[in-house]
Amino acid sequence: MKNLWKTFKQGIIYENPLLMLMIGLCSALAVTSNVSNGIGMGLAMTFVLLFSEIFISLFRKSIPSSARMPIFIIIIAAFTTMVDLVMKAYFPELSKSMGVFIPLIVVNCIIMGRVEAFASKQKILPAIFDSFGMGLGYTWVLVGIAAVRELLGNGTFAGLQIMPQSYQPILFFILPPGGFLVFGLFISLNIWLKKRMQKPGKERA
Amino acid sequence: MKDNMKLGFILALFAAAACASLAVVYSVTGPAIAIQSEKALQESLKDIYPEAANFEDITASVKSSVEGVAIEQAFLVKSALAPLGVAVKAKGSSYGGAARMLVGVSLTRSIAGVRVLELNDTPGLGANAKSATYYVNKADKITFPGQYAGKYLTDAFEVKKDVAAITAATITSKALTVIVKAAADSAAAWLETSTLAAPGSESPAPAEAAAGTDATGGK
Amino acid sequence: MDLMKIFLIALLVNNVVLMRFLALCSYIGMTSDVGQSIGMGSAVTFVTVLATAATWPLYHFVLVPLNLTFLKILVFILVIASLVQLVEFYLKKNIPGLYAAMGIYLPLITTNCAILAVTFENIDYGYSFIQSIVYAVGVSLGYLLAMVLLAGVRDRMKTSPVPKFLQGTPILFIASSLLGIAFMGFSGLIK
Repeated sequence: MKNLWKTFKQGIIYENPLLMLMIGLCSALAVTSNVSNGIGMGLAMTFVLLFSEIFISLFRKSIPSSARMPIFIIIIAAFTTMVDLVMKAYFPELSKSMGVFIPLIVVNCIIMGRVEAFASKQKILPAIFDSFGMGLGYTWVLVGIAAVRELLGNGTFAGLQIMPQSYQPILFFILPPGGFLVFGLFISLNIWLKKRMQKPGKERA
Repeated sequence: MKDNMKLGFILALFAAAACASLAVVYSVTGPAIAIQSEKALQESLKDIYPEAANFEDITASVKSSVEGVAIEQAFLVKSALAPLGVAVKAKGSSYGGAARMLVGVSLTRSIAGVRVLELNDTPGLGANAKSATYYVNKADKITFPGQYAGKYLTDAFEVKKDVAAITAATITSKALTVIVKAAADSAAAWLETSTLAAPGSESPAPAEAAAGTDATGGK
Repeated sequence: MDLMKIFLIALLVNNVVLMRFLALCSYIGMTSDVGQSIGMGSAVTFVTVLATAATWPLYHFVLVPLNLTFLKILVFILVIASLVQLVEFYLKKNIPGLYAAMGIYLPLITTNCAILAVTFENIDYGYSFIQSIVYAVGVSLGYLLAMVLLAGVRDRMKTSPVPKFLQGTPILFIASSLLGIAFMGFSGLIK
């Protein structure tokens, strides 16, 4: 059980897919101009990751090594399509606002990466914990970036007006360059956090 | 060779399983997806023509003469008494991809209303075309699509002169205006031909009513 | 929309990396030197155009008539994966030098979001075949441009003083932010 918990924790800070492993970046920046999109993407990605990891772990002994890439792709694409269809049917506004990024989950390096490095070699339970940890790590960064961008760039949080009416939104943050800037600072923040967690008693620079 | 065939077989098996499960999901979500876009269309149609009672599909006879703008659906809008005009759903390209507009043209050849159905442009800039609270004319509280209402098709449609552009989103404004004009023109073209042929069997005295006594545009 | 407009918007105004955040993994990972970025950019251009040429007819002449449009994601990514495999085989046999130089990044082209995004958008935007090809070329050249620009910037940064807390990846993102601002100026190109 302790191992499972450790597996779960890895994805949140130490091996945070976005900030540490630097994978799955594309969707992360594009959908973080507001919080609702960020949460939606986080959940969608976690869903695809979870089921892909489960199924690939389940079938890991029957998947021949030389054909594993196409099979991984087929499985991931299937779950991505399911998410895409369900969102179009029941959350059309969210689906439209995220546009092409939902189908793009299929090439999200996080899923490919975790499936190849972890799920294809582990039993189902560790795979499940890994996907939740990575999913959570991905989602918290997404929501964090989105919160900053939406708050500063629009004065709102998930659509709710937070900043006072007189606040003139800094449009920059919602635009792409703003995204790059905020993300760069987040990476910096995570590096610093990681250093601090590794040397608790030592001098803080 | 036998190994390769085995590989190919396993691959095909997974592919088949994937396609099968997707077909199942699609059979459930497919109708729901269709309902969603119908709902959005219906709401917008009712918005432009509040007295509308029924819509006759005339998609087959309405064509776009502008390359890049496709007419996806067209309806002859009728109230319980008489035809009100035509509504055209057109798709064209805008800054951030495809944009879909609903354009209503009344029998007097003026625009009854314009609604933005789908737009993927930059939030805070081009996307304001879709916002109900963004006004191109703050004094009279006129939104971007709202400004077209009442415009005659023979008027000029030049952005920044006759059509107000959204601040810092000229490309979007121009792209959407192109779509609106193309849709309106195709509707007008249909109206021209239809005054000769009776539109529907339900409405009484349809062709003569088109002579210009009916609903004028403008909201 | 006429072809020149499609091309320019794809290349500059709506640059795939700097304005749309696509293909970032390779953007960060493969720009340590200009030669590498040119190689990657060219490979991506090649695959993107081929993928467009393959997926557009596949969608319009097979998936649509058979009512199988929900298989779009699955089919498109498999087509791209196969194309990359073919390119790999070809390079291995005929240009082994390039094959060795690209190493692991060659199969990674499959996961390049930009390529898949282009194939989806050709459908979503309702482009004709010619328009799709032009769009594909525009987007991939935009990718090449962004890659080369960042590689150049990184080269310069090797000898610049970067604040400690920004060293490594953070400064790359900030640099991209500035590049992006410059690219936003291109929107005036389109009348």
